[in-house]
Amino acid sequence: MIKISHVTKKYGNFKALNDLSFEVKKGTIFGLLGVNGAGKSTILSILNGLCKIDAGEIQIAGFDIKKDIQKIKEISSIVPQNLAFYDKLTVKENLDFFSKIQNAKKENYDKAIEVNGLESVLDQRALTLSGGQKRRLNIAIGLLNNPQIIYFDEPTVGIDPKSRNEILSSIKNYKNFGITVVYTSHYMNEVEKICDEVAIISHGKLIKQDSLKNLLSKDNPKDQTALEKHFLELTEESYV
Amino acid sequence: MFKAMIKKEFLLVLRDKQALMVLFIMPAIFILIMSVAMRDIFSQKSVRFDISIRDLDKSSISKELIKTLRVDKSFDIVKAEDAKLSITIPKGYGKEDVANKKKLNINIKSSLKSDEIELFKAKLSKDVISLKLKIIKVKMSEFSDVAASAIGSITLEPKKLFSIKYNKSKNIPNATQQSVPTWIVFSMFFVIIPMSTIYINEKKQNTLARLSSMNISVITIALSKIVPYLFIAQIQMVLMVLVGMYIVPLFNTPALVINGSILALIFLSFALSLCAIGLASLIAASSNSSEQATTIGGISNILLGAIGGVMVPKFIMPPIMQKLADISPMSWGLDGFLDIFLKGGGIATVLNNSIMLILFGAVTLSLSMLILKKKLL
Repeated sequence: MIKISHVTKKYGNFKALNDLSFEVKKGTIFGLLGVNGAGKSTILSILNGLCKIDAGEIQIAGFDIKKDIQKIKEISSIVPQNLAFYDKLTVKENLDFFSKIQNAKKENYDKAIEVNGLESVLDQRALTLSGGQKRRLNIAIGLLNNPQIIYFDEPTVGIDPKSRNEILSSIKNYKNFGITVVYTSHYMNEVEKICDEVAIISHGKLIKQDSLKNLLSKDNPKDQTALEKHFLELTEESYV
Repeated sequence: MFKAMIKKEFLLVLRDKQALMVLFIMPAIFILIMSVAMRDIFSQKSVRFDISIRDLDKSSISKELIKTLRVDKSFDIVKAEDAKLSITIPKGYGKEDVANKKKLNINIKSSLKSDEIELFKAKLSKDVISLKLKIIKVKMSEFSDVAASAIGSITLEPKKLFSIKYNKSKNIPNATQQSVPTWIVFSMFFVIIPMSTIYINEKKQNTLARLSSMNISVITIALSKIVPYLFIAQIQMVLMVLVGMYIVPLFNTPALVINGSILALIFLSFALSLCAIGLASLIAASSNSSEQATTIGGISNILLGAIGGVMVPKFIMPPIMQKLADISPMSWGLDGFLDIFLKGGGIATVLNNSIMLILFGAVTLSLSMLILKKKLL
């Protein structure tokens, strides 16, 4: 679904991405792990057309990112880490706005509300929502255009465990709708819970890409901290 | 899509109470306060002085002087405690003696400006000299009727001494005519506050990036912001004009009279609001925080206002400052409004100023779009 080949991105002399290559299979939940500054946000920005690459190639659903960015934007969606909606508008006004500017279908609009359990707060101003409800609204907006690919940039930051579990369960369900999910997070247990495949990047380079099953089985598959240990080993090595 | 973007922008502004205060309430109150406060400064009515007279001489001459002052329309003779100036005629003032050096004693009771005191002295001098001429005429008539008649023909009445043509009288505004355009112009430029707050929140929370990822172009984002603020600016203009026409007169201050074309007023108002929105967009797009934007916006508004005749009317500025004023877009707008309100101007009168405002708006808007595009991509 997503094929990243030898991509380099520079900010001045700083190489944010350095000859990065990996692939994401259709219908999977793909975890993108890395320490702060590893290049996760840069990748997401590039994949969403918010930033251009200096070298390399990217194909998304068969479209070339350099030539067909408009089409790519139509079939994908990003749920940013920040709550990217309007505090002073109600939940319904926010969803109406983001729905109309994308010409979203009514069924997608209703599905976004239902999947994220926002029915009871539709007339509430976004400012007055709880942390979990705000996160769910942020996600619902990302579902309005019925995307084939959805990018989550640390979507559970600053919320309670109950809301986090609800969000993770709903993301896991997207697989049933055939949606490909790219998920970045600092929480290893989240990645372990929902991801099929994981890529670990450091200094803009791919350190490791494998299925979650393979990564865990190398140590003790029942060990809750196995992925975290693996991640720390790999990223520390790359810093040496 | 565009309709939804405009609706969103409208809802955000209308729910921003502080912005509404700055855009509507503050200028309306300022118009009221400034019109009433500057009523007398801008008044073109003839000045009258409240005076009291104490006659210690009780001579025929002192009585004649009091009679002259009574008929002079420049003076209102009031009780001593109410007078701003008191005149004392000393004993011996009317004594017919060449060596008589007695003078009138003037006591200025309340604070009068130096130009008012000079005016009072001129008016009183005129009455005293008239009286002295009358006395000389009587004396001269004993020796020569011709000489007495010649002296009698001397007049100190300005109307008989010179003819005055008030070519520019219509160009000097009254307090309301000065206040209303001033605060329309100033308040329109305060659009920077709501605009930057919304813009920067959108940048900070990645909403702009999200819109961009949804295939919404920078041009669409920028244009969707212009339309609501253009509309809001017209409401501001109408509200300020109505305050000048109907509220200000309730406070014994002249009402705003629109001598010129309403169409020209609307045209100029659109041009001015485009200019203000352009500048606000540029500042908002270049700033990284709403504090930074409101500080830069506030300072630039005050500077443009000070240069452009908002703080001090242009017609009382020295010539060099009047020339400097022409670099401020606020001055272009203000001159245009004064042309319409005072000189009865139409579209043609305000065309040059309006074109300059539109060009300024177009340039600043284009720059803001370039900056926004650079920041988003």
